[in-house]
Amino acid sequence: MLNLYRFLIMASFFWLLPLQAVEQTYAFDDVNKQAIFDELTQELRCPKCQNQNIADSNAMVAIDLKNKTYELVQKGESKQDVIDFMVARYGQFVHYDPPVNAVTIWLWIIPVILLFVLVFIMFKRNKETTTRVSDDYLKQAEEVLNQLDSDSAKKDKEA
Amino acid sequence: MKNLRLFIPIGVFLLTAVFLYKGLFSDPTNIENANLERPFPEFKLPDLMDPSISYSKQDVMGDMTLVNVWGTWCVTCRVELPFMTRLRQQGVRIVGVYYDNAAEAAFGNLDVSQTQQEVKEMLAQLGNPFQFNIYDVKRDLSLDLGVTGAPESFLVNEKGIILAHRRGAIDERIWQKEFAPIINGAK
Amino acid sequence: MIPEIGHFALLIALVFACCQSVLPLIGAQKNNADLTALAKPLVYANFALLTLAMICLAWAFYFNDFSVTYVAMNSNTQLPWYYRLSALWGAHEGSLLLWVWILSLWTTAVAIFSRSLDDVDIARVLAVMGMIAVGFIAFVVFTSNPFERTFPNFPVDGRDLNPLLQDFGLIIHPPMLYMGYVGFSVVFAFAVAALISGKLDATWARWSRPWTLSAWGFLTMGITLGSWWAYYELGWGGWWFWDPVENASFMPWLAGTALIHSLSVTEKRGAFKSWTVLLAISAFSLSLLGTFLVRSGILVSVHAFASDPTRGLFILIYLLIVIGGALTLYAMRASTVVSTHRYKLFSREVLLFINNVLLVVALVVVLLGTLLPLVHKELGLGSISIGAPFFNQISSIWFIPFSIVLGIAPLIRWKQDKLSRHNKTLFTGLVLTLLLSLTFYLPLALDSALTMSGIVLASWIICLTLLEVIKNKSVKKLSLSHWGMVFGHLGFAVLIIGIAVTQFSTVEKNLRMKPGESVNIQGYDFTFESIDFVKGPNYSAYMGEFEVVKGNSQVHLHAEKRYYNVQSNVMTEAGIDAGLWRDLYVALGESLDDGSWGVRLYVKPFVRWIWLGGILMVVAAAFCLADPRYRSILAAKLTTSKAG
Repeated sequence: MLNLYRFLIMASFFWLLPLQAVEQTYAFDDVNKQAIFDELTQELRCPKCQNQNIADSNAMVAIDLKNKTYELVQKGESKQDVIDFMVARYGQFVHYDPPVNAVTIWLWIIPVILLFVLVFIMFKRNKETTTRVSDDYLKQAEEVLNQLDSDSAKKDKEA
Repeated sequence: MKNLRLFIPIGVFLLTAVFLYKGLFSDPTNIENANLERPFPEFKLPDLMDPSISYSKQDVMGDMTLVNVWGTWCVTCRVELPFMTRLRQQGVRIVGVYYDNAAEAAFGNLDVSQTQQEVKEMLAQLGNPFQFNIYDVKRDLSLDLGVTGAPESFLVNEKGIILAHRRGAIDERIWQKEFAPIINGAK
Repeated sequence: MIPEIGHFALLIALVFACCQSVLPLIGAQKNNADLTALAKPLVYANFALLTLAMICLAWAFYFNDFSVTYVAMNSNTQLPWYYRLSALWGAHEGSLLLWVWILSLWTTAVAIFSRSLDDVDIARVLAVMGMIAVGFIAFVVFTSNPFERTFPNFPVDGRDLNPLLQDFGLIIHPPMLYMGYVGFSVVFAFAVAALISGKLDATWARWSRPWTLSAWGFLTMGITLGSWWAYYELGWGGWWFWDPVENASFMPWLAGTALIHSLSVTEKRGAFKSWTVLLAISAFSLSLLGTFLVRSGILVSVHAFASDPTRGLFILIYLLIVIGGALTLYAMRASTVVSTHRYKLFSREVLLFINNVLLVVALVVVLLGTLLPLVHKELGLGSISIGAPFFNQISSIWFIPFSIVLGIAPLIRWKQDKLSRHNKTLFTGLVLTLLLSLTFYLPLALDSALTMSGIVLASWIICLTLLEVIKNKSVKKLSLSHWGMVFGHLGFAVLIIGIAVTQFSTVEKNLRMKPGESVNIQGYDFTFESIDFVKGPNYSAYMGEFEVVKGNSQVHLHAEKRYYNVQSNVMTEAGIDAGLWRDLYVALGESLDDGSWGVRLYVKPFVRWIWLGGILMVVAAAFCLADPRYRSILAAKLTTSKAG
């Protein structure tokens, strides 16, 4: 950080890249680290606020967590390392991605089961309808429906 | 059998309602501290009043100790100071961890001597419950403790294990309910 | 005196609502024409009374009557008059009164526009809506009375409206959202009434459709406005946070979207009857659940609302009665419903059903994601957070099957079709999709796989939707509701493009800047020109002026940091230059010691497309509603009423 700052001062001194003289609040010399930091501040939750990630929050503890994240990422720790570090101190609440356990696994299981069950029910019912209702009856029903359709179409035209 | 299927929606709804009912009586912002039943974190920090003195984990161990995270800028801390002082008179060992106002501290130009002056005045006025105050310079200790703001209190036993935690002020009722039984049990 | 009139009107409205929910129903069951005939007059009287109550509260706000607690808590003499009026729905009590008033508005609309329906049927519908009203009016009267006074001592001035809500967005966003939420009560009432009478036929579906469409249109508008408002008002450039309060509005929307499509199958083909009824009940139930989540404060939300367990308990009991009652009725009666319609595996029915299922799966994901933290905690497993990473991951998978089916479905015939019949169209569609995707890809130089897949899927929807229009023998003869479908689907595609590009191509910089300094982001030169201290009507503010230059064009941005004196709140007013292709966004952060400021700069490409998509969907709903089919129903009413 200091080195970068010195570099920036020198750069502006020599009238090189004058536009870059503005200091980033959290400056990285490595694009990958910057990306990790951006992801982390989006995914870590401010433990004190209503419902905000630490990138958006200006609460004290959010600033502290952001600084700590910055420090750890600068040191070269991976994304998971930082998450583990924060979870060890602030609990699972601090991470917006829930851990997979006996309860949270249902977040994935229930939707998948529902998907298959509903599709299964539809096919089954369609078959039931097919076998239960005689073809003659269906033909009549179709005729009534077609009649209705043409009626409404006629009405549309009139309107 | 076919009719039973139609009862699934109402079943799901009633199950949800049970949890909604339970949820009504619990505070969603009350999040359990992750450090409970774990050892107090290691640290090495100076005294608030005299930076030449340095403290470490050993200084909060040895006896049942209440570690109180606080700051002069925090209004709720003011409220609990008199009660804390009474606890000290009853023989509870209380150690302060001084938590700076981050908005100013974030840029590292806080005037320590001014803080010391404010602390002196405030403790003289409302009572001094603390054996000593650890100055959490960069709030690293607070972060290791999972502190989200001031005041927060941790009950640490002689082996340095955190037994109880409170976010917000401690008063007589909360002390008797959440802390006193643990201390009495240990004796 | 005037607040007392309002309170009194509310009390009478409660009595009338009780009558409205009981008498017509008895009349309908016992074939007593005198009792059924009472329904409409009661509805109109209720509407008049609740309107009076609204006027009384508005009067108290306008003339700063701080002896009324609610006014004292949410208004201030320094507040401009338009915010004084919109403050009426700025907090709990008033927003519930608005809820109740909107309910009576919808009920009145049903009473007026359903003249061609059988008197007995309409009496049942109005009675069900009366039951809904009883619960909510009682809730307002007994737990959240906005007319309560603070006699004998009342404050000289009020505590002001939450500054977050002192904004044009607040004036229109809640009424729109509530129009949507409460609008689903109409379909709910139609469904419950049909379950009671056992007449679940095509007529029921035909009558439910326009009401569903209008409620859905309002809800879409409300959500779009809310997202736009959060974007410019919260000051960190986000447009959707997967916050419980947002999810609470998103769930009825998903149910409503599924319902619109399912109703069309039920109306045109007589299929999926039982499923459609369940969706109709769900859409409104989820609206109620949303109201409960927001008002009870059992979930932590960024949109802070006052919470109170007794109020929560009241709504929960109400939910148990209304939703529990409707679902029980469904469980008892729905088995009598038989869908006689037969269709083959590859038909529009099946494709529509698959999309319906996908919408419901999405709905369940959102529901689980919103409520599971609560369950997790109540089971003693500790607090967890379910947020953007989870929802984004699921939705990026979900979009794929949904978009593919959405593109194909309108091409496929009802009843039975062959895929081979569409080989040519699908192939053309695929080629066009690739071409369209390339036109996005090349100039934007997108590097994210997720953005690309979003673009490809959206292009697929756009191309197939347009091909479907062209394939029709005569484009001019397409019905308005057909155009509605086209716009709705295009709106959805535009929305996806907006999300995909904004989400992964936004450039954000957090900087420390002093006035006079410049920085270059994505070819834009941002210059922090000056900062000034100014005074507004009820706040003081730092105003930062920024100039952004790219090539020959330059724009001026104006960002503010406001301090509201009464509630000592700090608010960020972002400076935004809106554009179809990109937004430039500046938010002022903290003032730093060396005279510099924390500044957030964003270049957000395509972010406007998100709301453009929402607007297109609202237009779609309007087109469907304008279809002569519904107007002819209305015309039939008018002639019968003339004849009568």
